[in-house]
Amino acid sequence: MSADGKPQFIQPPNHVKDKVSVTSNGIDFDTLEKAEQLIAGMQDSYLEWVDEDLRKLQALEAQLDGAGPRLQVFKDIYSISHDVKGQGGSFDYPLMTVIGNHLCRYIERLGDVEPSDKNVGVVKVHISALRLVIAQRMSGDGGKMGDNLIRGLEAAINKTTAAK
Amino acid sequence: MSGYNLERLNFLVVDDNKHMRALVKTILHALGSKNVHEAADGADAFKELRHFPADIIICDWNMSPLDGLDFVRLVRTGKDSPNPFVPIVMLTGHTEMHRVIEARDAGVHEFLAKPISAKGLYSRLRSIIEKPRPFVRAGMYFGPDRRRRQIDWKGTERRKAMIEAKRAAAEAPPEEAGGLSQAEVEALLGG
Repeated sequence: MSADGKPQFIQPPNHVKDKVSVTSNGIDFDTLEKAEQLIAGMQDSYLEWVDEDLRKLQALEAQLDGAGPRLQVFKDIYSISHDVKGQGGSFDYPLMTVIGNHLCRYIERLGDVEPSDKNVGVVKVHISALRLVIAQRMSGDGGKMGDNLIRGLEAAINKTTAAK
Repeated sequence: MSGYNLERLNFLVVDDNKHMRALVKTILHALGSKNVHEAADGADAFKELRHFPADIIICDWNMSPLDGLDFVRLVRTGKDSPNPFVPIVMLTGHTEMHRVIEARDAGVHEFLAKPISAKGLYSRLRSIIEKPRPFVRAGMYFGPDRRRRQIDWKGTERRKAMIEAKRAAAEAPPEEAGGLSQAEVEALLGG
């Protein structure tokens, strides 16, 4: 802030402009299309990555059956689901993003309260849905099966919310 | 067809998830970038900046021990920051309105919602190239000018953008509530 208390504006050096030029082999529509195709070509790698995440989720899910505290397990599930949510759509698995988002929002809404059996039930059904999408290779919108899956999850959440 | 050539730009990709780093690097390489360094969290990235003169940083939010937001603040206002002016794109699945505002107020240039695409990332890079912004030091804030529109500002535009974003968020279907779309984020950021 300047001495008179007014905001001070500074024109920073523009290294980006200095280094970027417009050339005949620069980025055009075809470059972007090729980049998107390259991502699409990474789908097999994605399926390996997500399988790793699903295994971690399954291990955490098993912990929910024990007598121990559940809150930290929910936080760990949230963390992995957040990654799943952030990646699915990039690799033509938008259902993973939608279900991951549902799961994250649900856990967020619970706050720092120790999860109940009903909460555990909802979380488990979401994890099962994530596994199903990958097991059935439900890429794209997943068609009618995908539609039913999302509706089923919403119904599960609504049911527990209404039962409060 | 001609277009921007990014070959000479140095990128630093900061994400604790190695798969996300791989995805972002793949996109940047496909867009012609040659110099892409990576770091797994904010602390690593800050160390990396000491010997790698990044021109653009692409940074995740949730990282440990130093998260993306703290990293942005450190870059902008840290006494030993190698480059307080470096453009930063915040890349995150957290697209709730308060999060977007928090990121903007920490000093990010651009905000890109996950899941990402090549076109989405390039649109943010293009914005940095085409709309360089002055920096502002005002009160506790130091970072890019948060009013990005090149207009004769009368004091209402930011609120208008906020109102537009709030309305868009309120009208979103239930499953989207709690997270803004990329278009809503841009409206909120005044892009």
